[in-house]
Order: sequence, then structure tokens, then C-alpha cells
Amino acid sequence: MAIAGTSDARRSLGFLSRDTLVKWAPLLVLLVLIAFFAVMEPRFLSIRNFARILIAATPALMIAVGVTFIIIMGSIDLSMEGTVSVCAVIFAFCFIWLGGTLASWAWLALPFALLVGAVLGFVNGLIHVKLKIPSFMASLAMGFVGTGLAMVMTGGDRIRIEDEAFRALLTVRWFNFPIMVYVAGLFLLIAWFIQTRTTLGRNFYAVGGGEALAHGSGLNVDRVRIMGFTLAGVFFAVGALLAVGRIGIAETATGNNFMFLSITAVVVGGTALWGGIGGVWNTLVGVLIVFVIGNGMVVIGLPGYIQDGVLGLLVILAVILSTDRKSISFVK
Amino acid sequence: MSVETFKPYFPWITLVALVLIVGAINPAFFNLGSMVTLVADIVPLFIMALGMTFAIYIGGIDLSVQQVANLVTVVATVYLAQFGIFVAVICVLCGFVVGAVSGWITTKQFVPSFVSTLATGFIALSGARYLSGERALSMSAEARDASFGWMFGNTAGVPHELVIAGVLLAIAWFLQTRTTFGRALKAVGAGELAAVSSGLNVDRIKILAFALSGLFAAIAGLMFSVKLSGGDANLANGFLILAIVAVLVGGTPLTGGVGGVMNTLVGTLIVVVIRTAMVYLQVDATMQQMVFGVILIVAIALTIDRSKMGTVK
Repeated sequence: MAIAGTSDARRSLGFLSRDTLVKWAPLLVLLVLIAFFAVMEPRFLSIRNFARILIAATPALMIAVGVTFIIIMGSIDLSMEGTVSVCAVIFAFCFIWLGGTLASWAWLALPFALLVGAVLGFVNGLIHVKLKIPSFMASLAMGFVGTGLAMVMTGGDRIRIEDEAFRALLTVRWFNFPIMVYVAGLFLLIAWFIQTRTTLGRNFYAVGGGEALAHGSGLNVDRVRIMGFTLAGVFFAVGALLAVGRIGIAETATGNNFMFLSITAVVVGGTALWGGIGGVWNTLVGVLIVFVIGNGMVVIGLPGYIQDGVLGLLVILAVILSTDRKSISFVK
Repeated sequence: MSVETFKPYFPWITLVALVLIVGAINPAFFNLGSMVTLVADIVPLFIMALGMTFAIYIGGIDLSVQQVANLVTVVATVYLAQFGIFVAVICVLCGFVVGAVSGWITTKQFVPSFVSTLATGFIALSGARYLSGERALSMSAEARDASFGWMFGNTAGVPHELVIAGVLLAIAWFLQTRTTFGRALKAVGAGELAAVSSGLNVDRIKILAFALSGLFAAIAGLMFSVKLSGGDANLANGFLILAIVAVLVGGTPLTGGVGGVMNTLVGTLIVVVIRTAMVYLQVDATMQQMVFGVILIVAIALTIDRSKMGTVK
């Protein structure tokens, strides 16, 4: 939704050049925020509190990582709320139908949920590319379909998952952090691998950097797009599984609020909405910024009604700091 | 006579086709009285979408409209007793200021409108929650009827809400097609760099577009508040996505420069017909969201004019 202007090769050398500053700005913002909340309330710095932040952040992190690939391509995916709900609900049904505990064949529900995410993402990409509908609208409509589908399947009911082996995601802790944090870390590494070490990952940047150019150099842009949406769907599914693992309930509302949250986090992390810039580490920082702000405001005891406004202000500030104003001529 | 000639009319054709299909299956849909009520009911949504059109027309988006409307419902309810009908001025100013701030952050601070408007929306929400004391407030019936009772009357069977919507549409249409500001909006939407080069004060135009979006959202919030005789920080929730959908289905693409307020009129009507048709056609309540999504994809696929878009992002 914005256009990068002429970015000349103005690369100044030196340790603290503007490029370096802009690149590390999101991380600096995160550190400043942590320092600020720690000064205001020392309890903020406890391991226990960090575990709390990470537990809250992991589902959103997976979803934000998924949409990062799409945003790098310069598109957008708004289908996550629907996809997450559908994956969560289908997972819960399969899991219970196959025995209801990870010790039985019910573990098959895990890969099946990822497959469902991939299929939804694939359909999303197909509608976007083949019908030539801009991704904003195609994915928004797919989101409606997803939420609706989850509604039809559950009839509005909640499905409880009480299997101890599955809930171990939250209840069992290694080195003070629950397993779900490590699972999210593993998938983050996979995403990083895809981004930096695979052709597909490089192609995302090629499409985002200049689609006409990518097309001209023989890249099958349509295919890259569809694969990108499929991949995003898989990460949405991982987010759905972690969300179910966190609260032990799958329902239509499992996907609620993830849309604006994940995109805000991606942008705050320094991935530009116009594509070609950023990556999964930016997204990690962005998600942490958003959740540290949320947690910190509660810990230092800000009244509830101020919290939304402060979050809004800080998000604007974070984006301003991590934007290289000299290399863009305008944003939309 | 080629397909190209008809392209601008695709949204209209889609609308007429939808109405005819629904009417053919259930003739009760063609009842004039219920149709008028139906359309009058969605006036706040239409006004919000009308404002959003300006933001999307220049290639941006305004995600703060729902929260602006929320804020305004609270402001209107709290200050109605004190200011009477002049509370409308305060409300409209609120919307204008929030929109202008979003515009300023977008243009001067290079924060994409997707994020800047989302953030100003949060700030507006904070304001609404603070002012309402996190409670649902209600207006005193006499004060409401004295100041805004006229809004819900009838003249010769035409609800006054429709008249208001018509007047606002006329103003928006006039702004878009008959003023230099309107032409400048199109220039910015079609190609911002070219607009800058030709000497337009693009920043001011963009800020004004966002301010207008906020202003219309405030009017929508005010009407909503008077209609429900109260205000609270979540009253208008659910409007945002529908307003965006109404603009997009009408044929104003997110890339800007094409479409306009008339398209939004059609878009809003399409959305409403789809929603109502599901009731008339007795689609199961749990199925409605899904059916809405599928029809939306079909409607958008039929409606949008791809000839003016380069790459589809």
C-alpha cells in the first residue's frame, strides 16, 4: 500500500551509519521498552513474566511469520482469522475422533491440521492469482468463508481438548519456559531457513522488489504467489494449534483479533507493507514489541482505558523510528 | 459495443442481477415498504463507507472509522444534554481531527495508512472508553427527540434518514467530480509522483481526504447513536470490515484513482442485498457468514475492472 521511491546507492560506511540505525531500530525500540518497563516496575524483568509474555505471543508469532512472507511479496493476507478458526476446529474434531490423546493415532490430527491450513492458503492464493482479485479482497473474503466454515462445523459450540499429553505444550516447562515456546522457536527457524536458504524464499523478495522485473527474468510469479499463500496457511495452522494448546479450547472465536495484531506486529518489526524489505527476525522483534507493550502496561498498572491509546501511540512511534525516510518518497 | 463499454457498469449490473435473482426466488423481496426500511436501516454504514471512499480513492485506507464512530456515540451521548443539537458540531469536529491526525502521520511521518489509522483508531477507542467510564450510556429521551427527533421522521413516505444519506452523497459526489479538490484526489490516486511533479500540494490533499473520511465516520456514529439512543465504546463494532467491503465491491480498488462515491452507493446496496437475501432465502444462521464470503468472491470477481490495474498485488 505504499510505494518505494528512488533509493540511491547512498551507502555510507561506518559503524553508526543511518542504514545500520534504521536496520536495528526495531530491536533498539524493543530494548528501550524493556528497560523502561523494568525501571518502572522491577517485577517486569522476572523470568516468570517473560514466560508469560512468550506464552501469549507464540500463536500470534506464528501467524505473523506466515503473513510476513506475503507482505514481503507486496501482497497482504487477511484470511488468518478464518484459517486459524477452521484449523483449530478441524484439529479438535479429528483429535477427539481419533482417540483424544496424543498417545494414540490422534497425533495424526496435528499434521492434518497443517494440511488443512495449506489447502486453505492454496485456495486463497488460487482465487487471488487466477481470478486476478487483489489479495486484500480475496483474502478478506476467504477469511469470511473460514470463520463461517468454523461456525457451521461447531454450530457455535466450544470444543475442549483435555488430553494431558497435548496440554503439555503449556503445562510442561523446560528451563522455565513451556514447550510451546520451543515449538514456536523451531518453526521460526524453519521460516528463517525457507526465507534465506531456499529458492522460494529468495523469490518472495524478487516478487516484492519488483514484480515486472521478476516476471521479465523468467520467474513464474503466479506460482510463487500461490506457494507463498500456501506456506502462510501452514503457519496460520501452526498458530492455531498453539492457540488451542494454550487455552485448551477450539471454537469459532479462536481466530479472533489475530488479523490486525499480526499485521501491526509485522510492520512494527520493520517489514515494509510495499514489499521487498524485512523478514522473519523483524517479525519476531515486532511481535515481541507489541506483546511487551501490552504486558508492560498491565504490569506497571496503567488503567485499562488508556492502554489502547498508548499502544496506538507506541506503534506509530516504532514505525516512524524504523522507517528509512530518505529512501521513500511517499507512503499510502 | 464491446465488453469494454460495459465495464464501468458491472457493479450496477451485478446489483440488478442480484435483486432479480432474489426476487425471482422469493417475490416477497419486492415489497416496496420493506425495501425502503431495509435501505434506511443501513444509512450509517453507507455514510461510513462514503467517507472511506475518499481514503481508498487516494490509494490509502482508513481503519479508524469504526473507532471514530464509537467515540462519537459516546461524545454525543455525554454532551447532548449540555449542547443540544450543537453536539453535532463537536462530533463532526472530533471525526475531522482524528482523520486529519491520521493523514498527518501518514504523509509527514511516512507511516503507512494501514498502521497509522489503526493506531489513531486505538487512541480514539481510549478516548471513548475514558469518556464513557467503560459503561453503556443512554440519552434522555426528551433531549434526543428535541434535538434529533427530526432525523427519524417521514415526508411523503420517504424516511428522513434516506434524505440525509442523499444529501451527503450529493455533497461527496460534488466534491469528487465538480471541484479542483476532487480532481486532485484522482490525480493523487492515479499517480502520486506525477501529482507532486505537476505542482499539487499532495500532502494537504491527502490529509484532507483522511479528514473527510473521519468526518463522515463521525456523522455515521452520530446517526447510529441517536438511532439507538445511547453510546458506548463498542457500539459501532463490526462496521469497519463491512464499510471496506462496500467500497471495494462497488469497484473502487485499493490502488486508488478509479471508482468513487457512486460506486460506493452500489457497493453498499450489493452488500445489503446479499445480507438480506440470505434471510429471505432462509439460509441457516450458522451458514450465513460462509455464504456471504463465497458470494463476495463471486461479486468482486465480476465487478472489478482489471483493465486499469497493472500487476495485481
